[in-house]
Amino acid sequence: MTVNKQNTKENQPAVNIDRLIHEPARFNILAHLYVVESADFLFLMRQTGLTRGNLSSHMSKLESAEYLEVVKEFVGKKPHTMLRLTDEGRMAFQDYRQSMKQVLENLP
Amino acid sequence: MIQDIDLKKLEKKAWKSTFQDGLYDIVFGVLLVSFGIIPIVRQIIGLWYIPILVLPAPLIFIFGKKFVTVPRIGIVKFGPKRRATHKMMVKIMVIVFIVTLILFLMTITKTFPGTLRTVFKGYAVPFSIGISAFIGLSFCARLMDFQRMYIYAILIGLGIPVAEVLYKTVGAPFYGLITFSIPGIFVLSYGIILFSRFMRKYPLPAKESELI
Repeated sequence: MTVNKQNTKENQPAVNIDRLIHEPARFNILAHLYVVESADFLFLMRQTGLTRGNLSSHMSKLESAEYLEVVKEFVGKKPHTMLRLTDEGRMAFQDYRQSMKQVLENLP
Repeated sequence: MIQDIDLKKLEKKAWKSTFQDGLYDIVFGVLLVSFGIIPIVRQIIGLWYIPILVLPAPLIFIFGKKFVTVPRIGIVKFGPKRRATHKMMVKIMVIVFIVTLILFLMTITKTFPGTLRTVFKGYAVPFSIGISAFIGLSFCARLMDFQRMYIYAILIGLGIPVAEVLYKTVGAPFYGLITFSIPGIFVLSYGIILFSRFMRKYPLPAKESELI
């Protein structure tokens, strides 16, 4: 019995798509964090257009996956929660974009 | 498709969002109006016109950012390249502002050293000031990708030599009012409109503790 090499996982980039990032809102969050060093919750909310609850929910999932980290800092006398991508998050985002590019290129 | 997103454009959009509040327009408007009313103010309060000229614009900017803009759109730290660009832009603006102000004050108070006066005859001095202000501000406009700043560069850069010409034709205080204050009022008005639109578009959010 011969193995159909065309159907292995390596040749099906769609299988490798990170479903966590694939969700549009989460992709939007990661894209915005990718292009800056860090941002606070409010800035992210304004840029992505997500509601407070929606953003918080997606952030929790990304944080659980260790794609982003939440850092509490003081800016002046006020506490600020800053968000930034982890190294894993940056790599995952880059890999996701690469995978999507491959999927689109392989389309007939 | 969202996955086709252009990250450079996204970063630029995020960058530009930090100055859509109209504060730069208000600052340039205030500066222009201040330049225009110098002859009048100087006659009334003497040398105290200098702090009146210099202080309002940066104070409006600093307090506006701190109490209006940042509480409405949040805080962001850009990457090293953008931060370096921003630092350079701030340095250039400070240098241009100081040099232009000093030369401008020396010109209107006729306190240029004698040797410089013979070197820079006629309109050479105001044109030199105007060109340096224009180049500095245009450079900042390019770094910030802030198109309106090119207009403000022209208004200030061209305004100084035009004021010198008008001084000899219409005299004080009208030369300043025509060259600077009238355009300044339009710029300031536009800045105020942008500012109020910004405040309506981005109302103050709930407190930090309620956000997460």
